[in-house]
Amino acid sequence: MTTFLATDNWYDLRDLANLSREILEAADKILPFGVVYVLAAVIGFVASFLIFVLPSQLFVGVYGERKLIGRIQSRYGPNRVGPFGLLQPIADAIKLMQKEALTPTRSDRLVMYVAPIFFVAPAVLLFAVIPFGPNMVFADIPVSLMYFLAISSLPVLANFMAGWSANNKYSLFGAIRIVAMTISYETPLVMSLLGAVVISSTLSLQGMVLWADEYKIWLGLVQPLALVIYFICVSAELNRTPTDIAEAESEIVAGYLTEYSGMKWGLFYGMDIGYALAASAFAATVFLGGWTLFGLEKWVPPWIIFIGKTHLFYALFIWTRGTLPRLRSDQLMAFAWKFLLPLALFNLFIVVTERMIWSEEGYDKAYIYLFAIFNILVSGLLVFAWARFNGYRPDDVPTRPRLVKEARGYVPLGENE
Amino acid sequence: MTGVIKSEPFVINIGPQHPSTHGVFRIRATVDGEKVVDAEMVMGYLHRSMEKLAEERTYTQNIPFTDRTDYLSSMSNNLGYCLAAEKLAGIEVPARGDAIRVIMAELQRLASHCMAVGAFANDTGAWQTPVMWCFREREKILDIFEVTSGARLTCNYMRIGGVAFDLRPAFEPMVRKVLADLPPFIEEMEQLLTGNEIFVSRTRGIGVLSPELATNASLSGPMLRGSGIAWDLRKADPYCGYEQYDFDIPIGYQGDSYDRFIVRLEEMRQSVKIIQQALDGLPSGPFRTEVPLALRPQKGEAYARIESPRGELGYYLVSDEGPAPYRFHIRPPSFINLSALKEMTVGGTVADAIVVLGSIDIVVGEIDR
Amino acid sequence: MDGFGVTVAFWILAAVTLVAGGGVMVSRNLLHAVLFLILSFIGVAGFFVLLSAEFIAMAQVIIYVGAITVLILFAVLLTPRASRDNSETVWALPGMLLAVCLAAIFLFVVHDTQWKTVTDAPLLTTQDLGHALLGTWVLPFEIASVLLTAALVGAIMLTRSAEEEAEDALA
Repeated sequence: MTTFLATDNWYDLRDLANLSREILEAADKILPFGVVYVLAAVIGFVASFLIFVLPSQLFVGVYGERKLIGRIQSRYGPNRVGPFGLLQPIADAIKLMQKEALTPTRSDRLVMYVAPIFFVAPAVLLFAVIPFGPNMVFADIPVSLMYFLAISSLPVLANFMAGWSANNKYSLFGAIRIVAMTISYETPLVMSLLGAVVISSTLSLQGMVLWADEYKIWLGLVQPLALVIYFICVSAELNRTPTDIAEAESEIVAGYLTEYSGMKWGLFYGMDIGYALAASAFAATVFLGGWTLFGLEKWVPPWIIFIGKTHLFYALFIWTRGTLPRLRSDQLMAFAWKFLLPLALFNLFIVVTERMIWSEEGYDKAYIYLFAIFNILVSGLLVFAWARFNGYRPDDVPTRPRLVKEARGYVPLGENE
Repeated sequence: MTGVIKSEPFVINIGPQHPSTHGVFRIRATVDGEKVVDAEMVMGYLHRSMEKLAEERTYTQNIPFTDRTDYLSSMSNNLGYCLAAEKLAGIEVPARGDAIRVIMAELQRLASHCMAVGAFANDTGAWQTPVMWCFREREKILDIFEVTSGARLTCNYMRIGGVAFDLRPAFEPMVRKVLADLPPFIEEMEQLLTGNEIFVSRTRGIGVLSPELATNASLSGPMLRGSGIAWDLRKADPYCGYEQYDFDIPIGYQGDSYDRFIVRLEEMRQSVKIIQQALDGLPSGPFRTEVPLALRPQKGEAYARIESPRGELGYYLVSDEGPAPYRFHIRPPSFINLSALKEMTVGGTVADAIVVLGSIDIVVGEIDR
Repeated sequence: MDGFGVTVAFWILAAVTLVAGGGVMVSRNLLHAVLFLILSFIGVAGFFVLLSAEFIAMAQVIIYVGAITVLILFAVLLTPRASRDNSETVWALPGMLLAVCLAAIFLFVVHDTQWKTVTDAPLLTTQDLGHALLGTWVLPFEIASVLLTAALVGAIMLTRSAEEEAEDALA
């Protein structure tokens, strides 16, 4: 972290950690021993969650998504409330708070109340390990990648609780689907991240950013297949189209959220975006070089670079949501086990081999670029070859129907017109 | 192995309030896990007793009723009813009237298929994008209807003996614009959906309808053609001078939801072709034969059928020489197409059932009447 | 900080874990029992954090909370009637007897052990753990993984129905 040129004056906004350090040091002088640790947690929460996550949720997650999807669907999107409809998310929130949060009579009331809380808490915790800048990471623990994975495996329990407690068949469908889907997609997700861990030889997110900074290459370029698998798996775990089978509106109404209304529903909805943001932040950190941007971070505040990358990655979620249809649940499972998991294993095998070669060669910088080019080519080839092996034959699907001139009953398949 | 894990089948109500039932329609599905083992259709939630009400109104007064059966293709319904009434009363329609009717019916087919294709894509989970694009194109057609008849959805444009008004000067450029816009739009939809692996895997082989079943259940329209049966009333039993236009019947390969989808897309292309021909050769002259307002056809009965966007739409009228029909019966294509739903859904998953229902393209107003 | 904060955290975690463990036993609703189990697992993960074994704590959360309880929930859901009924069994009395015996043994062991306090324990990092697993203890590690794979295959074989066999034979 010594390469970073930011001064440690509190007004140097390139590193907001200066400001918080000043505050904490001042507080330590007046407050009794130990309280400052609590204050640090509060500042961390305010800084990461209230200043970054909440506005991002509102203006990228809700407004941006609605606007962007609106443009994809050739309509305007929100443009009534406030300038350019910018106040729309706030209007939405007010509307949700006013609505009655119904609880069905035969539901498991307690679990139904607890589920939204249980869903929100991990989302807050996730941002504790995300490095926003060289010094701006709240909890720089050595296993922060593991921490992120561990915490992000919790919300599925809340989803399950929500689906089960509502005592509704559609909710139960959603609950079963999301549990099955999350278990399936956790495996390739971890396998793909293992590739990134092996090449950067650290479990720390900050360490990965520094690795990317040192070798002047993003891990996503060295591990393109891992990035793609991560994106697909995480969009499955986040329940976003094309893999939103647990909330599949056209099939099971709203899945596990069917019986939720009012702000209880709003918490689920808002935190879905929160998790998507966390996943984007994680991807930006691991695969896209975090707060570094090839030297630009010395002039532009690194946290702005990081937020930009996060939102760009988030835009990918919006894009797929606006474009792709939904997979059926069994197809989705088959995709995880038959397609993504073998690919992730192939990828792991390749990356371990590369790592061995690299360590033989004394960690030469030139090798990493070689690996990047090799991996990009090989992963393209692998995806294609594995798809063909699994029976993907796009040419066999007719795109146009047969045409006949007159009405003459059944036309057998072989008959040429 | 004796200890096979079996789950208890349970009943799940898909509808009447469900995002994908296209109205108030209900499937009582018995599911074993996600697998549908039995499906029972429950309908009648939108029953408005149209056939009985029609017996109290004069022949002309009944035309607005027909708008409201299949509200997504009011022009076609107007046309079917007017043809039946004309057949009953023995009225000839002038050539211009016929050509306008053809243009309107085909525009209606385009609008209705836009809706069908978009809603179907929505059922497969494409989050609103195809349906919005389809609505964008449909709007242009509805604008044409507005200019011509004054209404967008329930046009009430056809009259016994012709059409209500002559075409406005603005009509032709608007239609030409739609005709120019639509083929690229269909290409776009093909790129978005038929080239999409997820869409294909969701619809290929889902809800397969064998040609035997399709004919035995007396299905019609894109459902029948999707199963590879070349049958189109515009060719088999031409009306309104369809025999003078050059177009093809698109037929599918194996009768699955995907085939029905591509058949609909191709039908839109063919409709564009027909409208072009009709517009180029639009004859001048009267657009309507004058018919007495209180029409009293001679005693007898008449059945006229047309190829509506959903299939064979038939109107059966019986006259007792009174000013109102003695019996007014509709053969609604959606209702009869729906009868094969159970055969198509049982064995698939709940998600498949929704896709199959979407591929039938029902309009509940027409099912329940 | 070290002494006070850790002590407070320890007692809070201990209370949460024990109360949750009690909840598992007491709750009539099987799903509630599973939810309590999750809570107690999280409490145990907290203990690992207190012992500076972050990696194990994270593994505890991923494996026990993220995977195993989810599987239990799945089993609960797919078992008819079980999700609604955690009723008493005839084994209540023998179970209690066993629990008392176990508790006695544990208390004896706890009481009898010479508890040593290590002043400067070597800080075990994740790297060390990895080196130990794939270096010194690679053979047991690999045997365990082979065993797990065998169990996986066995589980799949056990749950396959005759129909699926027939389907696969056709394919």
